[in-house]
Amino acid sequence: MTLRKLLFPGLIVLGLAAAGILVARTVFPGVSLPQPVTKVAAAAPALSAPAIEPPKAELAPEASVDQSAEAETKPAATKNSPAPRAKAAATQALPLPVKTIGSKNAPITMEVFSDYQCPSCGALYEQTLRPMINDYVAAGKVYLIHRDFPLPMHTYGYEAARWVNAAARIGKFEEVEAALYDNQKAWTVDGNIQKYVAGALSDADFKRVQKLMIGCGMEVKPPSGPDNPSGCPLDANIEADKQLGNQIPVKATPTFLTYYKGQKYPAASGVISWPVMKQYFDSLLAQ
Amino acid sequence: MSETAPRITNNGSAGRILLLFGRVALAGILLFAAYAKLKPPVPGMRWSKASVKTSIAMFAMNVDSFQMLATPHQVSVVAHLLPFCELGLGLWLLSGILLRFSSVIAMLVFGGFFTLIVRTYMLGLEINCGCFGPGEKLGPRNLLVDGSLLALAVAVTLGAFFLSRKRGGEGAPSSAPAAEGAG
Repeated sequence: MTLRKLLFPGLIVLGLAAAGILVARTVFPGVSLPQPVTKVAAAAPALSAPAIEPPKAELAPEASVDQSAEAETKPAATKNSPAPRAKAAATQALPLPVKTIGSKNAPITMEVFSDYQCPSCGALYEQTLRPMINDYVAAGKVYLIHRDFPLPMHTYGYEAARWVNAAARIGKFEEVEAALYDNQKAWTVDGNIQKYVAGALSDADFKRVQKLMIGCGMEVKPPSGPDNPSGCPLDANIEADKQLGNQIPVKATPTFLTYYKGQKYPAASGVISWPVMKQYFDSLLAQ
Repeated sequence: MSETAPRITNNGSAGRILLLFGRVALAGILLFAAYAKLKPPVPGMRWSKASVKTSIAMFAMNVDSFQMLATPHQVSVVAHLLPFCELGLGLWLLSGILLRFSSVIAMLVFGGFFTLIVRTYMLGLEINCGCFGPGEKLGPRNLLVDGSLLALAVAVTLGAFFLSRKRGGEGAPSSAPAAEGAG
């Protein structure tokens, strides 16, 4: 009897406490329990920054699939970049990487934060993004933007992002991204990313990419903070993407945001099948 | 009325009050969960058929990310049905009608959610839970909250059955339905 007398009220009190937390979260959004350190949070303090504008307003104008990446543009996404002045000058001398697919005039914009070594990101690319690119991106319904968010526990993730950024600077982003995701299981074992980049490009283009990768090998550590840049000029754009991700905040990869009619929809994470995502896009387009 | 007042006092009023609070809280949580899944996904957006469709589509993405269901069609069915089931169950609990049945169903529902969240967390899937709206990250806090809600559902169920037993033991059939309805 004693146990029974204690159990029932105890359970009620526990449940009411949980209900109270939920109400508090709703009424007072700032009230929250401390979050444990997640895979990403350990490396990335959240920044206080204004809300992210729809990316159409931020991006470099060259966004069509065929357009070259060599035009000089304002580095809109690097507004809060940690790159110091000395390295920034070197970075701005290089063409900006174009890591977008599709028409900038598409009604829906989708921003994907991913790590090339992340298996879920690979699964999302193969199962969802690839059919989406062939369907809704090709039809001008979706404008796809890739944002780099290499995770610290992935040994070759940052290096892979460097290679893709280098390729993106000569307008070969899509090819190299596809090659890396298609062969993810292979290069994540031995780190031989160069082999698959070379396989995706012509000899001439690969030489151009190699030239851009000078000073960006595995021996060059990624930047550890705004005051500790790396020697690789490609890192500034990767760090700028990471800063954008920290503002959301991105806690895991893949995470994606959608924008429609100037409004930002809540971020979603995980591997989502194309039919389900397509249903979501159709619901947006029906508005 | 004067006959029922002493009976209330003699039959563990504290327990009944706790049961009432628990039932109302459980109903409120279910109604809130349904509201969070159906409300317009963007602040300032008006309620409309289109906004509800978009919210359901977003919830479908949350469901899909759990990687539990085999086909997109199953995901779509669950995403369309679950918010309205939560709404109905919340209203049923709030009414207090047939409390034993509604509380058992609520207990099974929360038990299912808790099991799913534990499984997902153990698998290391870093996804959005979607339990109380889009953008809700799955983490230890979800485990704690959902576990507590399951405990609340268990408590309400136990309380409903104990209350029913007590009423049946006293042999007051005319007052039992009213009492159960009142919680």
